[in-house]
Amino acid sequence: VTPRELWSKLTAAFHRRKIESDLEDEIQSHIELAKADRMARGVSAEEAARQAAVNFGSITLAKEQAREQRGIRSFAIFAQDARYALRGMRRSPGFTLVAVVTLALGIGLCSMAFAVLSGAFLQPLPGVPDAARLATLENPVTFPSFENFRDHSGLNARMAAYIGPAPVSVGVGDAPAERITGHIVSLEYFSTIGIEPLLGRFFDPAEDRPGEAPVAVVSERFWRIHLHAVPDVIGSAIRINGRPARIVGVAPKDFLGASPLPNAADIYLPVTADARVAPELTGDALHSTAYPRFRVLLRLPPGLSQRAAEARLDAQARLLEDRPSRDKKARLVRVIDGGSLIPLPPEARAMIEVFYGLMVALILTLTCANLAGLILARGAARTREIAIRLSIGADRARLVRQLLTESLVLAALGGLGALAASRALFWLIARFRVDTMPAAWLNWGTDARAAIFTFAIAAAAGIGFGLMPALAVTRPELANALRTGVTTLGNARRRFGLRNLFVVYQMAAAMMLMLIMGASVLGVLGSLNQPAGFEVAPLYVFSVDPARDGLTPEESAALCAGMAERLTGIRAIESVTIADRPPLAPGLPSVEMVAGDRTMQVVLQMSGPRFFATLGAPLVRGAEFTDRDWLPAAIPPAVINRTAAKELFGDADPLGREIRQGARTFQVIGVAAYDQPQVLINKPVSVMFVPFTAKDAWRAAALGITVVVRARGPLDMAAIRGLLDPRMTMFHQQTLRESIDETMRGARIAMAFYLPIGAFGLVLACVGLAGVTAQTVERRRKEIGIRMALGARRSQLLGLIMREGATMVGIGACMGCIGAYAMARVLAAIWSPLAQIVSGSTNPWLTLFIPALLISLAALACYVPARRSSSIDPLIALREE
Amino acid sequence: MGKKLDLLQGTLDLLVLQTLASMGPLHGYGIARRIEQQSGDEVLLNEGTIYAALVRLQQRGWISGVWGASDNNRRAKYYSLTRSGRKRLTEETSYWQRLSTVIGRVLSPSEGGKK
Repeated sequence: VTPRELWSKLTAAFHRRKIESDLEDEIQSHIELAKADRMARGVSAEEAARQAAVNFGSITLAKEQAREQRGIRSFAIFAQDARYALRGMRRSPGFTLVAVVTLALGIGLCSMAFAVLSGAFLQPLPGVPDAARLATLENPVTFPSFENFRDHSGLNARMAAYIGPAPVSVGVGDAPAERITGHIVSLEYFSTIGIEPLLGRFFDPAEDRPGEAPVAVVSERFWRIHLHAVPDVIGSAIRINGRPARIVGVAPKDFLGASPLPNAADIYLPVTADARVAPELTGDALHSTAYPRFRVLLRLPPGLSQRAAEARLDAQARLLEDRPSRDKKARLVRVIDGGSLIPLPPEARAMIEVFYGLMVALILTLTCANLAGLILARGAARTREIAIRLSIGADRARLVRQLLTESLVLAALGGLGALAASRALFWLIARFRVDTMPAAWLNWGTDARAAIFTFAIAAAAGIGFGLMPALAVTRPELANALRTGVTTLGNARRRFGLRNLFVVYQMAAAMMLMLIMGASVLGVLGSLNQPAGFEVAPLYVFSVDPARDGLTPEESAALCAGMAERLTGIRAIESVTIADRPPLAPGLPSVEMVAGDRTMQVVLQMSGPRFFATLGAPLVRGAEFTDRDWLPAAIPPAVINRTAAKELFGDADPLGREIRQGARTFQVIGVAAYDQPQVLINKPVSVMFVPFTAKDAWRAAALGITVVVRARGPLDMAAIRGLLDPRMTMFHQQTLRESIDETMRGARIAMAFYLPIGAFGLVLACVGLAGVTAQTVERRRKEIGIRMALGARRSQLLGLIMREGATMVGIGACMGCIGAYAMARVLAAIWSPLAQIVSGSTNPWLTLFIPALLISLAALACYVPARRSSSIDPLIALREE
Repeated sequence: MGKKLDLLQGTLDLLVLQTLASMGPLHGYGIARRIEQQSGDEVLLNEGTIYAALVRLQQRGWISGVWGASDNNRRAKYYSLTRSGRKRLTEETSYWQRLSTVIGRVLSPSEGGKK
């Protein structure tokens, strides 16, 4: 078959009427011509007509042969069915509307889930060619071990090391310095990533000649925004962390570093830079084996798998290991995917994929069950039509096919609606956009994959919700419906079985969705509103970074020591303290602490004198740090929060007890009412505070030094700057409330996504139940009429209908709870941190409120249509047929 | 009169193409009549079956049809050979000639008898 022939066959279906009438005319003309021809030869008119007809043969056969030749039979039938379906939809607009909206929402949510998945987790690094070949080590290493991997592992792969994200204070011209994020990179960084500079050059081995001004490469974005995209930027001077430097190159467009989340890199410094320029390199970073701070990037050549690379590097790491490792099986080195926006260890990725997969499956099957119920109910109303068509010889397969086509047409409409719905949902979520994230993030709507996915789901849904009801409705014994009447009880019961199944499934799926989404939403809400143990309203925070502002360690220490005294000179300020990060910031890494025989994961925070007094957090026992603790002590004191006290010491008095962390030992001097929230787990975290000492003042931490202020009104930053040091840049100025909310932004986005899913499940299940109950009442009209005639009270009848609904709801709800529990267990088994969340979320709100919500709404959905049973007039019900 | 010949699969298309090539544009009846006459009324042809062939040939782009008026002023659809139809006819004709030669040779008694 040539393409041309196929095309004409496909298009034939669309101007069928024209072609048919053409053929009809042609055959007429043929017979006329034949007749005239014969008459011209002297045959009588009657005989000529007879001969013409005989010679032509069967007109019907000729037409049928031409038709068969013209189109593809199945396609023509499909077109016919589709036209029929569209006509049917016009006749029942209510049903069509509900069905299309349900589908659109269901599919829309699914494609959104897919977009989140692909947008966040399947997105390659922006601006990186062939990102799939990039890999990274899960944990940072020291520079010597990077060099060992690079030079001695024999691995045929490009390798680079970098520190990042590192905050960098950058000043251009006379403008005040601005704090941006950068990477401190080894020379192989850019060649491993595989990019060429847009302007100038990248770093070369001669970069660390003494006496020469430090060099930097800036991002195209930085060049555009801060340097006004001037072409002769190469060689121009900027200030980096208070030191002069010059720009040697501009990175290509879109490239935002090897790990653009959460902070895209806008400046690149070489690892050979002076520690005064890059404080992250303090302590001879290139030779120190003290603490691992370099992230390693690998570009694997084709044919070298991550596993193979991991085995090679692991073997190399073991060579250096002086003591044989306790666990032979555990890898010392793990290679993970480095080319995605979010590098994830495989098990977290599996967890996310399973989670989204299950969610999509739940939403979709829920939608399908709902629509199947709807179509089945409609099919019941159409039983007579179908019975007639079967009895006059319609092929059952042909009927099933036609009903299936109807569903597919509906699904296609739903798919179109879904595109609109997902657009709307994206718009909604985009309002929660996080500014620090690169543009690639949340750049969904236009994803062609999501659109293809949407229509694939629509088609699958069409078959899913179309096939079962189609088979049920066209069951051969339904032909009996003609003889026996549709309302016969025996017949109705069996069909009811299938419909009941749909309702039970919907209830179960809705319960699962609501519990899972509820756990997530409550987790977020809970962490948003967790009481801290003190009032956060009058507290303000801002950060300073003396190291990056070019102050010497001595100046920094003096500044920090005098901070409180100087700032309390401002009238509105009541109290001031410092810390290494904003208080109550959730999602902090914890470290292992040992107290006696107990070992716990505890968050470590540094705090200055009068920290708890400033916060207003009461000390439950003991005292807090004073100015005496400013100088480092042999056994430093520690204040723990009450969660840590309970977990480390139980009911015993913690004062004076010792806590060990690695080689360090601390002595507990106080217990504070300071409840540190954590995301998703409604339980405060254990926190241990250690003194912020003079040697911590010149720190290279990414967050700088946080100044916490208790004040009677907004802070006057200009006045504060005047009192401190004019060289200093203040950043992250906000109220403590804002600071907490900001860290919760990701969780809020998640909530905006989970909430509609749970609500959708709830509404859909209730609509499904209401529809089925209404159908039940309608079908049992006659029975109800008889019961009423025999003296049943209206309340008894109502109870009869309600009981049926209650059974379905009850069974469904139980199954849903079991399903949700099982799903949580499965996810927890895949990804262990989740196990903590699962066990932490046995919240009474969740386990009582959600089932109660579902059941009461379901009862309402059942009651409203069931009440109609009491309005049935027995006389009318019994008389009508 | 003996039994009429059934047309072999695919031969009707060739006959239609040849008819249009030698006669120029013709309507369906004209084509059918011409084939009957040319074959000396030896071919069994339900004239109606010609329409499926006409649809097929049009779909393949070998003929094209337009409505026009017949000699005695009746409306009829006239078919004519297209350029690719002419090419096709040459190919088909040479194919049939080779085939009939081969079949004739295989079936001829003198050659077969030798064996």
